[in-house]
Amino acid sequence: MHTVGSVVAVVPLHGEGILPTGTRADVFREIFWVFLLLGTLVGVVVIVYMFYNAYKYRDGGARAGAVDGRERGAADDRPTLGELPTGGGGGRKLFLSFALSTVIVISLIAWTYGTLLYVEAAPTEQEDDVLEIRVEAYQFGWAFTYPNGHTADGTLRVPQGETVELVVTSRDVFHNFGIPELRVKADAIPGQTTTARFTPSETGTYQANCYELCGAGHSYMTAEVVVMEPDDYERWYENTASNSETPSNATTANSTTANASASVGGDR
Amino acid sequence: MNDETRHRTEPDGGHTTDGGHASAGERTTDGEHETDGGRATDGGHATAGDELDPSRIDGHADAAEEAFPPLGSIKRWFVTTNHKDIGILYTLTALFFLVFGGVLALLMRVQLWTPGGNFLSPLSYNQAVTAHGLLMVFWFLSPFAFGFANYVVPLQIGAKDLAFPRLNALSYWLYLFSGVLFGVSFFQGQSLAGGWTMYAPLNLPTYMPNVGATTAILALVLFVASVTVSSVNFLTTMHRMRAEGLTYWRLPLFTWTILLTVWMMLFAFAALLAALLILTSDRLLGTTYFAAEGSGSLLWAHLFWFFGHPEVYIVFFPALGVMAETFQTFTGRRLVGRKWFILAMILVAVQSFAVWMHHMFLTGINLQVKTLFMATTIGISLPFDLMVFALIYTMIKGRIRFTTPFLFSFGALVLFIIGGITGVFLGAIVLDYEFRGTYWVVAHFHYVMVGGVTALIGGLYYWFPKMTGRMYDEWLGKVHFGLFFVGFNLLYFPMFLAWETPRRVIEYDPAFVTWHQLATVGAFVLGASFLVMFWNLSRSLFVGEEAGDNPWEFATTAEWAVPSPPPLENFPGTPSYGSGSLRFLTTERALTPGEGSGGAPGVADGGTTAAVGGIDHDLDSRGLGGHDPDRSHDPNHGHESHASVWPFVVGLASFVVFLGLSGFRDGGLPPGMEGGIYAGIAVVGTAFLAFALVGMARQRFRGPAGPFGESWPFDGVENTKLGVWIFLASDVVLFGAFIGAYVFTRVAHGWVDWHVVPHDPTPGLVNTYLLLTSSFSVVLALVAAEKGSRYGLLAGLTATLVLGVGFLANKAIEWNELFHEGLTLSSSVETSTFYLTTGLHGAHVLVGLLIVLYMMGRAARGAYLDDERPVEYFGLYWHFVDIVWLFLFPLFYII
Repeated sequence: MHTVGSVVAVVPLHGEGILPTGTRADVFREIFWVFLLLGTLVGVVVIVYMFYNAYKYRDGGARAGAVDGRERGAADDRPTLGELPTGGGGGRKLFLSFALSTVIVISLIAWTYGTLLYVEAAPTEQEDDVLEIRVEAYQFGWAFTYPNGHTADGTLRVPQGETVELVVTSRDVFHNFGIPELRVKADAIPGQTTTARFTPSETGTYQANCYELCGAGHSYMTAEVVVMEPDDYERWYENTASNSETPSNATTANSTTANASASVGGDR
Repeated sequence: MNDETRHRTEPDGGHTTDGGHASAGERTTDGEHETDGGRATDGGHATAGDELDPSRIDGHADAAEEAFPPLGSIKRWFVTTNHKDIGILYTLTALFFLVFGGVLALLMRVQLWTPGGNFLSPLSYNQAVTAHGLLMVFWFLSPFAFGFANYVVPLQIGAKDLAFPRLNALSYWLYLFSGVLFGVSFFQGQSLAGGWTMYAPLNLPTYMPNVGATTAILALVLFVASVTVSSVNFLTTMHRMRAEGLTYWRLPLFTWTILLTVWMMLFAFAALLAALLILTSDRLLGTTYFAAEGSGSLLWAHLFWFFGHPEVYIVFFPALGVMAETFQTFTGRRLVGRKWFILAMILVAVQSFAVWMHHMFLTGINLQVKTLFMATTIGISLPFDLMVFALIYTMIKGRIRFTTPFLFSFGALVLFIIGGITGVFLGAIVLDYEFRGTYWVVAHFHYVMVGGVTALIGGLYYWFPKMTGRMYDEWLGKVHFGLFFVGFNLLYFPMFLAWETPRRVIEYDPAFVTWHQLATVGAFVLGASFLVMFWNLSRSLFVGEEAGDNPWEFATTAEWAVPSPPPLENFPGTPSYGSGSLRFLTTERALTPGEGSGGAPGVADGGTTAAVGGIDHDLDSRGLGGHDPDRSHDPNHGHESHASVWPFVVGLASFVVFLGLSGFRDGGLPPGMEGGIYAGIAVVGTAFLAFALVGMARQRFRGPAGPFGESWPFDGVENTKLGVWIFLASDVVLFGAFIGAYVFTRVAHGWVDWHVVPHDPTPGLVNTYLLLTSSFSVVLALVAAEKGSRYGLLAGLTATLVLGVGFLANKAIEWNELFHEGLTLSSSVETSTFYLTTGLHGAHVLVGLLIVLYMMGRAARGAYLDDERPVEYFGLYWHFVDIVWLFLFPLFYII
């Protein structure tokens, strides 16, 4: 399949369509469907083959009247009580199937490994464009801190089409921040940060959940994720800058605001 | 249990196949054959020696072995050490926990009938989730498999019992009481509620303050103790006690799977033990490992998953063994690619220790590590492909009979294929990111794990006739399978369709209601299918057809060559494959009354020459009957003990100790009455446990004695010694995990920024000298014992004791000074790691000294002079403890 070569030359291949591209949701969908298709195919073939053999060689079945000499030979050589165990032969067939399944599995994984590199790759030339938002989990909710120091509880607002990097941590126990529809997920570990990047392609309101059991309120530990038109986001963001709830360091806040607006303005 | 025991003693159609019955009551007359148990039974360290010289008897009249009661007696089940009895106890207890965990699962499914229902409170739901997982994984799956392992493995390898029958009973009682302790946790406020993975720091008292949570963790510790004892026992047995001709390649596949399972258990559970001990210490003593910012959470995840992934194979391998056996028997074919099948399993067993981080792909580990673990994860899936194909190809040219055991195994293979394919999805990291924490994972591992259960249920039907002597009702068995298979898929398949539901929530997207309701219906169908099984099996105990020795055409393994159920000591002679197939050899030695089976009517065949009879090759599954019903007693081997009440007493005492300990928190007790009660229970329990351990050590007990047919590569290492070595191997992993935890924490906090706790290394250095010298004195004691010098032996042991006490006293002074400086266990993660790791070592020293004290007492009365092996085996332990210190000293004092 599309193997090592494609893995090495990940970026150029995107255009050729071998490796899935686009938002994480697109990448996920494409890989998932390929896996589902192949997985179903392999599963159905193997299980049908199992049932076929189980039926064909059932005791007292058609085989009883078989005149195939080889089969009769096999019938004569049944295991007996107390014999030392030996193998039943048929090694070649076993290895063929094994080799085939190995090829399928390894090529699938090699292919997805290319996408992993794509997903994990830091967008070097667009480094400035990344909007970094700090996500803090707590029992039982989420706090989002923007580059200007604005902190909002329970609602994450991001501009459409811009790459967002979530820097996720926790104030108390192990949580996991996930926005299922946008295919974003990151562990929230106390005393440590993890990151997740995504680029929302459509405006709308999504839900974020906690994906690690964290206590009594786990089921209800959700947040609203609002993907806004870049202009709307811009207006909203300016507003938070001027009415910043946590003006701990005004100069930093201002400079990051400037950066942020520049990046939004220079959006593709 | 009672019904079954009653049945098993019934004379069934003139076919008194029950050797246990025949031998009942004769053991008392056997007293003079019992040896003194002068072995290093050292408080839970699996070293009970069962192979000592029978001529050496000293006069503990009080330690005489009790009588071995008949199967029908309740008492029998408290004192039995016979592997078949223990196997039945394991099976029944595991089925009880299946019901327990299953009811919890039904509660969860009822809760999930609608999103956000209020059938259970969120906390109750979390407890149900947690207890369901823990009970099923720990208290049902492995013990259920080990019910079969206990019953079948000694039969398959031609051993009369496990190497250490009393320790086997001890494993069972520790297992049972750990389960009881877990049950108690629900009545102490609230049990664990953090999921079976018990992620830190949610598992700490800050977030889970109830006593019940501590109790549940202590229950796990007790369970791990049971597993460790059991692992040592099984490994010694399987490596040392195989029948002649049974080389490793020729071991039956079920035995192979158990062998690999137990090896994995030995190491994986040691890592879990380290995690649990640290957690216990965090909860009881107030150390701060898992609360430490920036290291605690991940430390738990690493320790837990290092255990957790091998655990998947630990629970699945026995199922694979059952599948291999039943596929061969019911297709009438030998396994295709048998050697490759075995090699694939060995590969999986080894590699299972190198895949754990695939549970942690989202924790921020770097890309290189992720790539490595993706590769190992995919790598470990490939051997399973081979195994699946091998099983499928075994059917070709077969004469497949769709009996209940085969249906379950066949179904299990189908389920495992689905579970395996959906697992490959998880191996792709990009997909794993999204599947993490969702029902995809839930569905996948239930297909694998409960797929394994499916095969094990098949195993229950397969061996039921062997265990009880009666056939189950085939039609009801098929009904069970039908309901089970439909219920299973109705329960778990919709979870794939509703995969976007987060795990362990009670609130979910209403779009998935249909799938969740289907799953709930499936859960009840699955549950109901077990009612059919219970009814079928319990009824068959009374009205089932006679099973005969071998009800299955084409079965090959040795358990089918003996009566159902097999007699107390399994075989009519010494089993041997020396001639190429199974024979039972007896010697010419005549039977004399009072020896072996004296007094029992119509005993034995007077044992003529070798190769009597061989085995019955009659393929008619019902018509066997030519066996002498009383051939159970090979006159040459009548000395083994079969009864001891001490394992039960030790188990009960451990339960009391742990119950008392559960009340502690952060180095103190709850105020008032409650604290007093817990402290009281702990004190009483400790005294009780000390009494029980001494009682067990003093009891004369004799297990199977060698030489055995095949012991390669341990021909020259007798059972107890091998047991000690194996135990020490698991202890290496325990200390390794502790040291690893220390290094991990220290690296996370900056290696050089770390405050080394003892600013003065002198006490540590002095202790190094003390311990090294004491290793020398143990060697001197051994030499003296070999030379037969009682005083030399006593002097050597005394010197060891003095040096060891010096070590502990020095440590006490050092710690006391540090405490006065305000450096307590909970001051910082630095002090926590220092006190706990060196404290664990100190505990090992203390246990060693208690053994020395015990040995001194016995040596003073002349023990060990003609058999110095207990001194030697104690020495192995003691040297090991020294070597550990040689690692700890630089790590905690110097670097």
